[in-house]
Amino acid sequence: MTIYNLYIFDRYGTLLYYGEWNRSKQSGMSIEEEGKLMYGMLFSIKSFVSKISPLDPKDGFSHYKTSKYTLHCLETPSGLKFVMNTDNQAQGVRDLLKKIYAEIYVKYMIRNPLCEMGEPIVSDLFKSKLDLFIKQTPIHTVRAS
Amino acid sequence: MADDIIFELLHSEIINYSIEKFKNNDNGEKETDLSVVEYIGFAAGYKIMERLTREWPRFKDELDTMKFICTDFWTCIYKKQIDNLRTNHQGVYVLQDNAFRFLTNFSNGHQYLEYAPRYVAYTCGLIRGGLANLCINSIVTAEVQSMPSCKFHIHVQRT
Repeated sequence: MTIYNLYIFDRYGTLLYYGEWNRSKQSGMSIEEEGKLMYGMLFSIKSFVSKISPLDPKDGFSHYKTSKYTLHCLETPSGLKFVMNTDNQAQGVRDLLKKIYAEIYVKYMIRNPLCEMGEPIVSDLFKSKLDLFIKQTPIHTVRAS
Repeated sequence: MADDIIFELLHSEIINYSIEKFKNNDNGEKETDLSVVEYIGFAAGYKIMERLTREWPRFKDELDTMKFICTDFWTCIYKKQIDNLRTNHQGVYVLQDNAFRFLTNFSNGHQYLEYAPRYVAYTCGLIRGGLANLCINSIVTAEVQSMPSCKFHIHVQRT
């Protein structure tokens, strides 16, 4: 159960933060391009899912799964998107993302008047708290499987 | 639960507003005028001291007053007590708070250190106002060496 990386986007598509813990293959493009690619994909897939869904969608797009990884997305009412790639055995990632939002983002970004909204996150405290949090989650164990 | 944050947000906006409004364009960027924020703190501290010491008897001496500031006054506003009080018994007191409320969310060390003075100006005024209402005239300054801990220096003016 491993966490590979995390992206945080604001409502305009700006990549606010990117963190990686276990990524072994790089995408071969710069981080800004990767951010734009990710955001574009999320935007399209959300709108696709809401239109094509044969039932009434309750929460909208939540995650997609491939044979190698799962991508989870949490969208807050204020338009922030927390996107996390994990392996296929991860459980409760949505709650994990909610916790990251409530306990780390809100606490260290919103309550810090020196961090501008809409600007990439530079606060060291945010990075270290996030790192600590990720390493403490029970699902972040690197197993030699 | 959400009440604490209202004060923090209001406080940071007061600081941003004062700095923007009273920015002296002739000087370089380094000069930020914090006297307005300090005065707002002074007025608030003066009045809050009246309210807090309603039921209390007169203080025995200056040191007793300082202890009161470290405990009740600080608890009322910052939900904790001052961690360390030092004095030289000649009218200089140093109050140390190891987790100053407005600075805990900034950084754990030295990032953003140059912005720290802005966020302690209000508190300096608060202490000065509180002491003024107890007939102690003083000068209060603050020193931030490493966040989130902060030291307040109080020099009592004896005439």
